[in-house]
Amino acid sequence: MKFISTILLFCLSVILVNLNSFESSEKYSDLQEKDLKQSVEDGKSVYSDFCMRCHLADGEGVENTYPPLAKSNWLKDKRKASIKSVKFGLSGEITVKGKTYNNRMSAMGLSDQEVADVMNYIMQNFGNEEFDLEQVTKAEVSKLEKD
Amino acid sequence: MKKFVYAFILSFGFIACAQKEDTSIQDIDKDYEYEVVADHIEIPWGFDFFDDGSIIITEKSGQVFHHKNGETTSIGEIPNVYNRGQGGLLDVKIHPDYPNSPWIYFTQASNVGEEDGGHTALIRAKLHNNQITNIEELYKASPNTTKGVHFGSRLVFDREGYLYMSIGERGARDVNPQDITRDGGKIYRFHDDGSIPTDNPFYNEGDAKKAVYSYGHRNPQGMDLHPETGEVWIHEHGPRGGDEINIIKKGANYGWPVISYGINYDGTEFTDETSKPGMEQPFYYWVPSIAPSGMTFVTSDQYPDLKGGILTGSLKFQYLEYLSVDENGVTKRVKLLDQIGRVRSVKQGKDGFIYVGVEGVGLVKMLPKS
Repeated sequence: MKFISTILLFCLSVILVNLNSFESSEKYSDLQEKDLKQSVEDGKSVYSDFCMRCHLADGEGVENTYPPLAKSNWLKDKRKASIKSVKFGLSGEITVKGKTYNNRMSAMGLSDQEVADVMNYIMQNFGNEEFDLEQVTKAEVSKLEKD
Repeated sequence: MKKFVYAFILSFGFIACAQKEDTSIQDIDKDYEYEVVADHIEIPWGFDFFDDGSIIITEKSGQVFHHKNGETTSIGEIPNVYNRGQGGLLDVKIHPDYPNSPWIYFTQASNVGEEDGGHTALIRAKLHNNQITNIEELYKASPNTTKGVHFGSRLVFDREGYLYMSIGERGARDVNPQDITRDGGKIYRFHDDGSIPTDNPFYNEGDAKKAVYSYGHRNPQGMDLHPETGEVWIHEHGPRGGDEINIIKKGANYGWPVISYGINYDGTEFTDETSKPGMEQPFYYWVPSIAPSGMTFVTSDQYPDLKGGILTGSLKFQYLEYLSVDENGVTKRVKLLDQIGRVRSVKQGKDGFIYVGVEGVGLVKMLPKS
């Protein structure tokens, strides 16, 4: 009897351990954040695929039409609005570096991870690295809701 | 402007011998006025006209609208739309013999398939009680990719009833456009039931995609039938500099990316060749790029100044461009509806008026000058 209960206990613990490790690995990959270097690298291809045609290769934008991302005060002063614009799109009048723009950008359909990556790429390039901004995380992006 | 264009061309080390005329774009003395026909359609990607004058309109996110007697109603949603980047619900074309052949054709970026991502598909559907029904998939390009660019796509029927569909190269410049065994960067030709004509140019070639009618394209988002010759004319987005107008010939190679008048968006070059034997020269190319979308020949008497020319939208500069053409090329370019917004689509209606789809504005009617 003691023998059987030992075996049962053993099986149960194996199952529990397996279940537990299965769950935790799921959770881990879900919560895991990329390091900044990897995120910036991945963000570069998102940028050239979705952003570059309008905001151009060095983030300079197009005068009166597409606002600049290079040394943009939005990244510093309007962090949430910047991330939201990438996640949900943006339309209407905005002021960037003292100039007004009235245009629209539709939502690109990016995943939260891609939004974080492209934000980090923009924040670490085009002269924006001077602002020394904190890394955008997937968790931060996923918390933001449409206005 | 002229100086700027000239300097731009020279600075990239090629000489524009194909264009002898100065075709810098001109402003118009007095711009056309317009009225908004259907607002609240965020991105009116494509539209077409029924005989009763009503209009069917696609919205990029997947909604289909019907505009009749001043009312715009949603008539359904297309399934499996891959709404990402440039992808979404794209063009719409009503069968030329509607309602005897009661089909309406759509192109869409579609997520159907095993891989992540999407690729362009051709579907058709019927209307029942003014709702989209009987959806059939006629062609689905593969493999899917998560790239957000270059789906095409436009649809046109020629005079013999063949259906042409343009498809972009899905951001795989070096893989798709020159390879006839792969989808993307092509013009396809179908019968109206989606079957492939046996006299398509590569029908009998081993692994070739049998739907291919021409290849070597980048991202064609404008297509119309020439009103006199019946030829299929397209335009396509080029890289930075080098959007093109092409006249489609059976089996022809339009050269992308082996020959091009443009350079990469990041300023680097990918080819220094602008011509090669066995590759077609464009009828016209734009430097700088305007990002053309939508194309129509003007045949209506409502706009005497525009009759015989081509209209195309500019996504980049946010105007409608008029091009006067003769057999040698473009002779004049004029900016219309300047700063109206990103012009996505343009078509001449059965009533002779020009309709224009503008992102963030809706469908507008360009008013003739009184």
